[in-house]
Amino acid sequence: MMSNRGNNMNRPEWLQQYDLIGKIGEGTYGLVFLAKIKSNRSKSIAIKKFKQSKDGDGVSPTAIREIMLLREISHENVVKLVNVHINHMDMSLYLAFDYAEHDLYEIIRHHRDKVNQAINQYTVKSILWQLLNGLNYLHSNWIMHRDLKPSNILVMGDGEEQGVVKIADFGLARIYQAPLKPLSDNGVVVTIWYRAPELLLGAKHYTSAVDMWAVGCIFAELLTLKPLFQGQEVKATPNPFQLDQLDKIFKVLGHPTVDKWATLAHLPHWQSDHQHIQGHKYDSPGLYSVVHLSPKNPAYDLLSKMLEYDPRKRLTAAQALEHEYFRMEPLPGRNALVPPQPGEKIVNYPTRPVDTNTDFEGTASIQPAQQASGNQMSGGMGGTHLMGTRNVPRPVHMVGGMQRIQQQQQQQQNMAAYGLASQAAAAAAGNIPMQQRGVAAPPHQQQQQQQLRRKDGMGMPGYPQQKSRRF
Amino acid sequence: MATNFWTSTHYKELLDQEEVDAVHNLDKQRGITLEDFKLIKLHMTNYIARLAQNVKVRQRVVATAVTYMRRVYTRRSMTEFDPRLLAPSCLYLASKSEESTVQARLLVFYIKKIYSDEKYRCEIKEILEMEMKILEALNYYLIVFHPYHALPQLVHDAGMSDATQLIWGLVNDTYKMDLILIHPPHLIGLACIYVASVLKEKDNTAWFEDLRADMNMVKNIAMEILDFYDAHKMITDERVNAAMHKLTAEEALAELGGGVDGFGGIVKSCGGGDSEWSWVLLTMCPRNKGPQQYGQCLVQEV
Repeated sequence: MMSNRGNNMNRPEWLQQYDLIGKIGEGTYGLVFLAKIKSNRSKSIAIKKFKQSKDGDGVSPTAIREIMLLREISHENVVKLVNVHINHMDMSLYLAFDYAEHDLYEIIRHHRDKVNQAINQYTVKSILWQLLNGLNYLHSNWIMHRDLKPSNILVMGDGEEQGVVKIADFGLARIYQAPLKPLSDNGVVVTIWYRAPELLLGAKHYTSAVDMWAVGCIFAELLTLKPLFQGQEVKATPNPFQLDQLDKIFKVLGHPTVDKWATLAHLPHWQSDHQHIQGHKYDSPGLYSVVHLSPKNPAYDLLSKMLEYDPRKRLTAAQALEHEYFRMEPLPGRNALVPPQPGEKIVNYPTRPVDTNTDFEGTASIQPAQQASGNQMSGGMGGTHLMGTRNVPRPVHMVGGMQRIQQQQQQQQNMAAYGLASQAAAAAAGNIPMQQRGVAAPPHQQQQQQQLRRKDGMGMPGYPQQKSRRF
Repeated sequence: MATNFWTSTHYKELLDQEEVDAVHNLDKQRGITLEDFKLIKLHMTNYIARLAQNVKVRQRVVATAVTYMRRVYTRRSMTEFDPRLLAPSCLYLASKSEESTVQARLLVFYIKKIYSDEKYRCEIKEILEMEMKILEALNYYLIVFHPYHALPQLVHDAGMSDATQLIWGLVNDTYKMDLILIHPPHLIGLACIYVASVLKEKDNTAWFEDLRADMNMVKNIAMEILDFYDAHKMITDERVNAAMHKLTAEEALAELGGGVDGFGGIVKSCGGGDSEWSWVLLTMCPRNKGPQQYGQCLVQEV
């Protein structure tokens, strides 16, 4: 725990069922904390705290939408909301999720920067299959995710669900069966590297096919460890034309034509042709050479069908799950990280850095217990404190975390390497208790630096992320 | 599930009539009867609809807000959750969950404009606090299914297109009852088509039988709707006022002591305010139009 006992006594009752370990993420929506359930120390929880609403706004519509969807959803490959808590005192809202140790962003980066080796086929296939399985569930229930990217695809760490993929971040998700407003009214959707061409060309009505495009991009990234289409984002509001992103796509997939994509002619940005995209000529090297796959390889076949220009011809999640690729050896498995047959080298992925200094600001302050309450949900955890209060001494060598982060900002600019070696070592140890991770963490600078990079995460519920990544 | 009603929390949380009709103990202590309870919910339904018309949100938002309000009162008392604050707050929350966000200050503005009665006044802060209390009271189940979505197709298939307005009016009126807490929405929609068929003297028996829906249930719901319209004839402003009046403890006590000041004139100030919502009562029972009916009637379809 980060606070002393006195403070703990004054915590709202619902919060006392958790031992807070530290901060693991931050974004415009608020903060994300790692916690353990006191009654079940083996269970880790990510608590997403929404920032207090600005004057007169109440609970953010994003949070409402996310809660509404998450309360309805139940699937092995979708992140599980275990509790919602409200602190009436400061009008803050907390969502408690099952905690996942890894995400695809970190897994891919670890392979690229540390392992220097492609992710093994079994892992790629298992991750992709589970991702599609979760997405198929969402789509068959008329839920579009709209913001799929590697940092939103979580993978469970050690434990009963090890290696299980969880789709996270439903802040932008929505039901598309009967929207009251056109889908495009909700503002910009999907980080541009994973954004489907119909969105880039200004489609007003789009479909679940936008998620499949993103899955295609993620599949290619799992294979090559590099984002497939790394466009430079044009920052302007609202919804600027992303020429560079389209350029990157056309360079790999060739120029789209009305022959292959009938509705192309009706898309606003294509029609207006302000920046002469229609006239560009592309000398396409072919997707297969970019991903280093033979055109005859079923993996290539699947990928190219996900990256189909015409959203109506693009493979659906259900169709993708039936693809030949998933019926060939190695067959996909539930534990994506550890193949069922020995032989393949098992990679130990780094654990998520935890800032054990940041206090659970807002709730750590003195509040009478009756001011806040938690509603227990089905499958949630019990409110009883079987283990009693177990205070873990705060790591003494790290003081004033937030301040430090700011001080480090300058240093950070000079540091190029990510330096996660010691984190990997910590992960390899596996059973290190959570709350000690701060102590066992790599040299401060590295950890701090990582937190810094995480700070620009936006709109990501539950887990840290970066809005746009540059390597 | 979000769009499969049968796997949704809406379906799982459907209640029996008895559960819906249970008056909270705290309210009983104030002398609120089941009849008062229903009257107040009816009054608040009209209030939400009227407010919604001013801030210009669509019927689905109204329906969701009313459903939230009725769901809250299956779990919380009117003593703790003052209906005059709960109703606009439900509309506020529903506007977010139905993606048509309305600013709280706009609600506050229109409340002031519509109701001269100070008991209805509220501040932005109170609405925001109530929003969170509603979330909790609803146990964070926010999905609501309505009959509207399937209605155009059903009305068309039943060959009732010329009665579309009547049927929509009937469906809107079902939110003045607790049907949405008890029955699957498509059965409510079918019951409204059934009532319209009877009124229009159109024989749809074969069509209904082909649907493989639970016709007994549809007929039962239709009967409830007709009973409601019947009972509605007896509702007067005074009765609503009296019910609302019991909510204020001090006044209730004063009344016990000496029966002072009578009824607060709460509904008086909104006279005619219920006319905006489609109100098919007149169509149903034209001969019973009387001056002491609660609210006005809007004939959408004659």
